[in-house]
Amino acid sequence: MPSFVLSHTAAVFPLHGGGVRAPSEVFAQIFEVFLLLGTAVGVVVVAYTMYHALKYRDDGGADPYADKVERPQMGEMPTGGSGGRKVFYSFSISAIIVVSLIAWTYSQLLYIEQGPDPAQTDALEIDVEGFRFGWEFAYPNNHTTNTLYVPQDRVVRLQVTSRDVFHNFGIPELRVKTDAIPGQYTSAWFTANETGTYEAKCYELCGSGHSLMIAEVRVLPQDEYESWYNGTEGSTGSGNQTAANGTETATESADLAAPTASAAPAATAGGVGA
Amino acid sequence: MSHDHGLPPKSSVSRWFLTTNHKDIGVLYLITALFFLVFGGVLALLFRLELITPGADLLGQMGYNQAVSTHGLLMVFWFISPFAFGFANYLVPLQIGADDLAFPRLNALSYWLYLFSGLLMGVSFFQGTTFAGGWTMYAPLNTPAYIPGEGLGATSVVLALIMFTAAVTLGSVNFLTTMYRMRAEGLRMRDIPIFSLSINLTVWMMLFAFAALLAALMILASDHILGTTYFQYSIDGTTMATDADNPGASLLWAHLFWFFGHPEVYIVFFPALGVMAECFQTFTGRRLVGRKWFIISMVLVAIQSFVVWMHHMFLTGINLPIKTIFMATTIGISLPFDLMVFSLIYTMAKGRVRFTTPFLFSLGALILFIIGGITGVFLGAIVLDYQFRGTYWVVAHFHYVMVAGATALFGGLYYWYPKITGKMYNERLGQIQFGVYFLGFNLLYFPMFIAWETPRRVFVYPESLQIWHSMATVGGFILGASFLLMFYNLFVSLWRGEDAGDNPWAYATSAEWAVSSPPPLENFPGVPSYATGKLEFLDDETVAERTERASGAGHGHAATDGGTAADGGAVTTRAAATATAMEPAHETAGEEHASHASFWPFLVSLGGFVTFLGLSGVRTGSVVYLSMAAIGGLVTFGSLFGMTREPFHAPEMAIAERWPFSSVEKMKLGMWTFLASDIVLFGAFIGSYAFVRVAYGWTAWHHDLIPAEHVTMPGLINTYLLLTSSFLVVLAMVAAERESKRGTVAALVGTFALGVGFLINKGLEWQHLFHIHSEAFPNGWNLSTNIASSTFYLTTGLHGAHVTIGLIICAYMAVRAWNGAYQGDDRAIEYFGLYWHFVDIVWLFLFPLFYIL
Ligand code: HEM
Ligand SMILES: [Cu+2]
Ligand SMILES: [Cu+2]
Repeated sequence: MPSFVLSHTAAVFPLHGGGVRAPSEVFAQIFEVFLLLGTAVGVVVVAYTMYHALKYRDDGGADPYADKVERPQMGEMPTGGSGGRKVFYSFSISAIIVVSLIAWTYSQLLYIEQGPDPAQTDALEIDVEGFRFGWEFAYPNNHTTNTLYVPQDRVVRLQVTSRDVFHNFGIPELRVKTDAIPGQYTSAWFTANETGTYEAKCYELCGSGHSLMIAEVRVLPQDEYESWYNGTEGSTGSGNQTAANGTETATESADLAAPTASAAPAATAGGVGA
Repeated sequence: MSHDHGLPPKSSVSRWFLTTNHKDIGVLYLITALFFLVFGGVLALLFRLELITPGADLLGQMGYNQAVSTHGLLMVFWFISPFAFGFANYLVPLQIGADDLAFPRLNALSYWLYLFSGLLMGVSFFQGTTFAGGWTMYAPLNTPAYIPGEGLGATSVVLALIMFTAAVTLGSVNFLTTMYRMRAEGLRMRDIPIFSLSINLTVWMMLFAFAALLAALMILASDHILGTTYFQYSIDGTTMATDADNPGASLLWAHLFWFFGHPEVYIVFFPALGVMAECFQTFTGRRLVGRKWFIISMVLVAIQSFVVWMHHMFLTGINLPIKTIFMATTIGISLPFDLMVFSLIYTMAKGRVRFTTPFLFSLGALILFIIGGITGVFLGAIVLDYQFRGTYWVVAHFHYVMVAGATALFGGLYYWYPKITGKMYNERLGQIQFGVYFLGFNLLYFPMFIAWETPRRVFVYPESLQIWHSMATVGGFILGASFLLMFYNLFVSLWRGEDAGDNPWAYATSAEWAVSSPPPLENFPGVPSYATGKLEFLDDETVAERTERASGAGHGHAATDGGTAADGGAVTTRAAATATAMEPAHETAGEEHASHASFWPFLVSLGGFVTFLGLSGVRTGSVVYLSMAAIGGLVTFGSLFGMTREPFHAPEMAIAERWPFSSVEKMKLGMWTFLASDIVLFGAFIGSYAFVRVAYGWTAWHHDLIPAEHVTMPGLINTYLLLTSSFLVVLAMVAAERESKRGTVAALVGTFALGVGFLINKGLEWQHLFHIHSEAFPNGWNLSTNIASSTFYLTTGLHGAHVTIGLIICAYMAVRAWNGAYQGDDRAIEYFGLYWHFVDIVWLFLFPLFYIL
């Protein structure tokens, strides 16, 4: 539940992503809990397994349980052994751990899916298009670049697609990732609390240059971003192989709060080939 | 007692080409699978070598992609399942008390198709480049437009996979029929040994999952060879363009692939689970704790495995409710595994645990699987999955589960080696191998969790992660070296090993250990029975007595093994009555002269190999490829015909447990199971059509993509033709029952004529559509025109192919009926009828979908 509380407090800082709980924090928290519990469960279960294996090992002497248990006989019809109750207890414990863990993450999933309240945060909308082997970013003014520029502490919403094959767009440090599928749009959001340079990578095999399909991500202080952005008004600044694409205007629909794959992208795809 | 029936001794090479015996074929599977393990393993070592440093470029960009892709394909398809099926072939009949599989020749055919599909995969390396789009083969990277060069190698890989799928489907039909019709007396389904049970559930999953894969592959092959455009984008001059021609393309592949892909992970793992459970029982001297719940868990997993596939697609933009459902099913499916793990752990309690090599491997597999399972739960949490997707976390996770499965199977190899060879391996060396293996495994895969930020399938990664990747590479070579020990051990022990005796393992219980090592050709010294609750071998007299009591008849049914299920199965069903009437009356089924040799399965598969190799290059128009396709086709067809003409006798068991199919004769059961998978095949085609149409826009589709000349009439006429022909098949049955030869022939000829009418009508319709000149379609409406034409021609074409096959069988039966067959015994016609009615019913779905809506 804490995520809900946090996302509401975000309302106190309108127009800013600084108070918004960033996806990277959500991930870090869940991952940490899973790592701790997962390691604990792993160690316990493996130790328990080894304990059984060693404790009951045949030391070559007489069978210490000869009068307690009946050993399987050649040619018998297969049946179950005794001790089923313990299996159930252990199973129940493990089931409780797994189910409660996943249930706990579910509230955080809702937060990641919906993102911070769009009415409260002035999210920046950027279109991302993957191509073999690079990325193109289109800003609200139709300016396009091959480096992603975003302001610090502001919610950034991405609409991601591909021009050719299936790619996957991810910025690992900022914990944002989504598939880039030709003919479809997927969305994702993030906010960067620190300025600096990051890397965006492709996470789906897309051909010979896949390993090198990396774009730079520059997180700028808000004022610096503003001046960079104002300097781009009306122009299309990126390389010629992407110039034809400046007409994409899918970002105009402001409310992308509920991420939906556009099942009928015929309506939304602005076409290079059109 | 022992009849050789033309089968040469094991020392003779020709035996291995001729044999249809399940034990021989099991051995062939094992050896072939190990060969592909080495093949895939060497590729892995190559790219691990490149990964030892962050920036090395050993294989080149495309070389690297080819190596990872084919490594995945080889390991998942050509190594792990076939390896498990080596054991299944050898052991399932022994464990359930059968003398062979239900259709021995079909079993040989499965094997040869498998082998040749692997060879085709190998040949693809020499056709320029082989497939380089990852084992998941995402679209549209898997289409020729995105494959550098001519792309013939990639086409060969797709065709090789189709051939492999054919082998799997035949195998599934065969195993299911065997297990439901040939269990020893007294052995209920739930009573069969746990390894055989795991195989039973595996083949059920295979039957349906591989049908979906087959649909995906057929569509892909058609995109490659025929030029349909399911997975392609429109070609704008020389480049591919992002317009809205077929917006469902990429996701269609993902759905089809993962609908297969998730069940596949259990298909891979279940046999391993079965081996683990067997080894645990034997080497702890305890029965499996909670066996009933263990079985129920496996059944639950098998069913549920078909409703979790979208967890591989969490980032594709599916909506929240669907994500939630798939998250729930994913977690749900992990719970039965918890139960199974604990069941294995508690089986050790109060045991006499002996750390022999098979047990070490089983225990090691359990531990690896626990780690793999825990890291899978991480992936089940969607927020984490978003970040893990496409990274080494996934790579590490699935190797911990899948290769855990392989670990258990290596345990199985040591466990059954004495049974198969009659010799004992060197225990000390086996234990050492396990140590090296386990060390290598963890050194290879565990660092991948730590270096999980590395994107999958890349050869450059952050320098900070180098130490982990170097470790992994070293681990890989250690793991590889451990196999040298294994091969050495198993090879040398063939000569130097001590005689193993019937049963070298204390507390082993299942029937394979009750016979000599290796078991004789007919498996058992008598007819096995569990009627008293314990394994006994009945002598002929007792059997005769019991069958008499049961049926009043002197002996059981005998039916011949009838060709392939795919060609309608029923082709050569020799009337059982006639067959048995010719046997001396005192003979019981156990003594009937079962056949064990046939050369046709090899020839059919060889023909298939040449055909497919030819098909991979026909789009170049090269004479070499074209003639290979033609010659291969002739060989395949001719040898299929030869196979149906060959007298081959696979007797049904005199007494057997057959619940729940006691009244379904084995040919019929085989036909049913085959049709069940065919339903999924057509289901996947129809589903694909619906999917791409919805993605395009249901009504716009009709508007934009379909010419006015595409009218309802030809379809309507064809509907009537087919329905009438179905009716005639029923008449043929009735006539055969009444022993009216003339009626039978007339009805069959009528069926044939109506079917031919159907095809001619369809041909005319297609011809017309190909050559229309309208404003919207100036160049006709052919396979490549647009996505609507692609779906239309391919789906109805697949149906047309079914009709054609049906007609070949029908013509064959008409000739046989003319010569007096089937009179008084209409079963063969009934089996053909099942197929034919099915083909009609499919048309009743296709007609509205492609002509009216
Ligand atoms: C505790 C049970 C398990 C859970 C919760 C689980 C969950 C998952 C999830 C969610 C993925 C998708 C990861 C992604 O691509 O983002 C995945 C991948 C995979 N899992 Fe599991 N899994 C489990 C057990 C298994 C088992 C038993 C096997 C096989 C024996 C297996 C084999 C695989 C494979 C092969 C992949 C990767 C497919 C690919 O992308 O190439 N998993 N698992
Ligand atoms: Cu890529
Ligand atoms: Cu899965």
